[in-house]
Amino acid sequence: MVTRINIGPVHPSTHGVLRLVVDIDGDTVVKLEPHIGFLHRGVEKLVETRMYMQSPPYMEKLDYVAPMSYDEAYVATVEKAMGVEVKERAMWIRTMLLELQRIASHLLWLGTMANDVGQFFTVFMWTFADRDVVLRLLEEASGARMFYVNMRIGGLIRDLPPGFEERAEEVMDHVEKRVKKYEDFLEASPLFMERMKGVGVMDREKAIELGVTGPVLRGSGVDYDVRKNNTYYVYEKLNFKPQLRSDGDCFARYKVRMMEIRESIRLVRDALAGMPDGDALGMPIKLILPSAKNRMVSVSRELPRGECLMYMIADPQRPYRLSIRAPTFINLAAMSEISKGCRTADIFAISGSLDLVMGDVDR
Amino acid sequence: MTWIGELVSIASFVSSYLNLTGTLATAVDALVYAIAISILIVAFDYVFGWVERKTIAKIQGRHGPTFAGKYGILQNLADFVKLLSKEHVLPKRADRLMFLSTIPIMLALTIFLILLLPFSPTLLESNVGLGLLVIFVLLSFMPLIIFANGFGSGNKFATISAQRSVVMLLSYEVPLIFVIATVGLLAGGYNLVNLINAQSQWWFVILMPIGFFVFFVAMLAELERPPFDIREADNELIAGWLTDVSAPYYTLALFLDYSRMFLGSLLIAILFFGGWSGPILPPFVWLLLKVFIISFFIMIVRASMVRMRIDRLLRFGWLWLLPLSLINLILTYLVFIR
Amino acid sequence: MKIDRKDLTQRAKELRAQGYSYLVKITAVDYEKYLEVVYLLRDLEHNKDESVEVEIDPADAWVPTLIDAFPAADWYERELFEMFGIQIKGRHAERLLLEKWNGKAAPLRKNFVWDAPYETEA
Repeated sequence: MVTRINIGPVHPSTHGVLRLVVDIDGDTVVKLEPHIGFLHRGVEKLVETRMYMQSPPYMEKLDYVAPMSYDEAYVATVEKAMGVEVKERAMWIRTMLLELQRIASHLLWLGTMANDVGQFFTVFMWTFADRDVVLRLLEEASGARMFYVNMRIGGLIRDLPPGFEERAEEVMDHVEKRVKKYEDFLEASPLFMERMKGVGVMDREKAIELGVTGPVLRGSGVDYDVRKNNTYYVYEKLNFKPQLRSDGDCFARYKVRMMEIRESIRLVRDALAGMPDGDALGMPIKLILPSAKNRMVSVSRELPRGECLMYMIADPQRPYRLSIRAPTFINLAAMSEISKGCRTADIFAISGSLDLVMGDVDR
Repeated sequence: MTWIGELVSIASFVSSYLNLTGTLATAVDALVYAIAISILIVAFDYVFGWVERKTIAKIQGRHGPTFAGKYGILQNLADFVKLLSKEHVLPKRADRLMFLSTIPIMLALTIFLILLLPFSPTLLESNVGLGLLVIFVLLSFMPLIIFANGFGSGNKFATISAQRSVVMLLSYEVPLIFVIATVGLLAGGYNLVNLINAQSQWWFVILMPIGFFVFFVAMLAELERPPFDIREADNELIAGWLTDVSAPYYTLALFLDYSRMFLGSLLIAILFFGGWSGPILPPFVWLLLKVFIISFFIMIVRASMVRMRIDRLLRFGWLWLLPLSLINLILTYLVFIR
Repeated sequence: MKIDRKDLTQRAKELRAQGYSYLVKITAVDYEKYLEVVYLLRDLEHNKDESVEVEIDPADAWVPTLIDAFPAADWYERELFEMFGIQIKGRHAERLLLEKWNGKAAPLRKNFVWDAPYETEA
């Protein structure tokens, strides 16, 4: 007998306001349909009514787990529309900050993922404490803990404070140790492996067909990372390597993210070591002339959750149209396909492994 | 050790004071004993509610409750008062009788089972020959009562939880029975006092470690402790069979949770760790000490394990626990009996 | 490349056969005189991007569905319908994805009136 259960929008493990309508037969999922839109704020419309540099705060609230990445993607789009070159030092600092943001975001994901498979908050609390250490670093660099708004046209709102390099090195050493600890802790548990391996399998063809992105795509063995294939800033100089797994199950997605944290740590270290001197400050907002040169621009960026593509039709003063390709939107769309035939308890392992942020899904 | 004797004599104190004899005296004695043990259970629930919060907070790098009282010792009292002040909501779809009666029944059953257990050579209410069997027969009613509650609440999450409860019963009850049979075999009977006396030389945990492992795992499942909190699975089924239970009954359910942990720890201590036996300290204190250590271990398991999936538990029960319990039975027979 | 609406399904199939198997995004722009639906495709093997633009009349706003060639188009097309009022022909009507507005408003069109009362789904 098929029973329909309604999970969410208020539920302990839906990461915000996701609603899943699930048909289960016994313990097996027959059909799963995500209902979204509870956090729809019409940001795409909103930015059409704002000046260019009034919009970054809106962008940051889209993905509130990795705000700076979205901010940077938007500012990079505006820069491209205006035809502004980013200063050399600002490029290095941006690269480093984006990777720090990725570490923070992945740490939060790890905690919630462990919670979703039934870990009683232990890993969650640990990763939150470590994420806070990284956030403190970002706070030093930008002046705010969560919503930074530190990108300016052509550079940043401020240069790095003195002594930042040493502290960043310390934090990276700390995070590296902790990541090792998490991996040892979780992977030593046969229960955890049981919950992750072979669950929510999406093979390579399916992943491309469903258009998933980011670690979910790479977990299925597709070698596509915007940082490599459509490189920006100094990723090429830092020898960035995309992290791949071919299994396509929850464990592969988990492993890709864990390896990405390691790669990000390396990138931060290399970026700090190779950082050139010079000026990193961007234009003050009030001095920006309304001067969009290119009518149509599209910029794609690898956010922690996947590829974000900003498609902008630029007017001189404000965007005529800004279309955001949100990474988790399309990852969530794939969920109903990959959770067919899984167990009821696996729904949450799968939704956890997709790393959903509902603000990003709904925009 | 004399004060323990006095503690026991409290039970007969009232009846002797009232100059009662015969059946009436026994009844009054039993009542006084029941009240005393109930107070002990409540004290254990309270202290362990606090110890668990503190322990898990320590493991997770938090502080736990700090505000109410010294080291937050009064936090549970505050929560208790808060919960009692909440509104009681009866869902429209719920079956009133099944939904409301089950949690009090379970609590009463748990307390009754604890009353059947011996706390020290003198502090015991009953000394029936088949005590152990009685306890496990009654204990196996628990999942069925949970099933009744989950089904009666009319909530779909609770219904799923109720179904899981029955599946769980199938997975661990049979190995549990085999282990108990082995314990009876080794002790030469199901009398709990004899069982403890039989362990005066070697604890059963040393004589049959496999049996202990199976029993411990089955007990964790019985008590709904992680990694087998499949019925309650808070991030899958919200709160499982407790989803629609509102504040006053939820308070009872919390009490029930810790009372069952007390019961489970007591059973483990009596069956495998020699009950009250131990040097120097009075037997009653020894038993409580063992119970505390076992409960503490159960907490640490809670903080470090990932929840098992229901189908995996079924497989685990039949492919691992059942053969292990049989091996345990055969080994025990070959080594100790024959 | 700009193509005509009636060639879209055929063109999509051709592109798919050429290796553009990854659909990045379907979006639209309201130029007031006409609506432009943009399909962004990608060849993951050779790392090439391709965009297909279709101009349609706002009064007769519909496009054929691409869901057969690109299953990823599912949610994008639904979003397109809700945000621009563009009918997607060739797939059965489903519940709304993002909004509770009965699909009567097209908020991302330029003639959208802010703060106008819209009927909500109960």
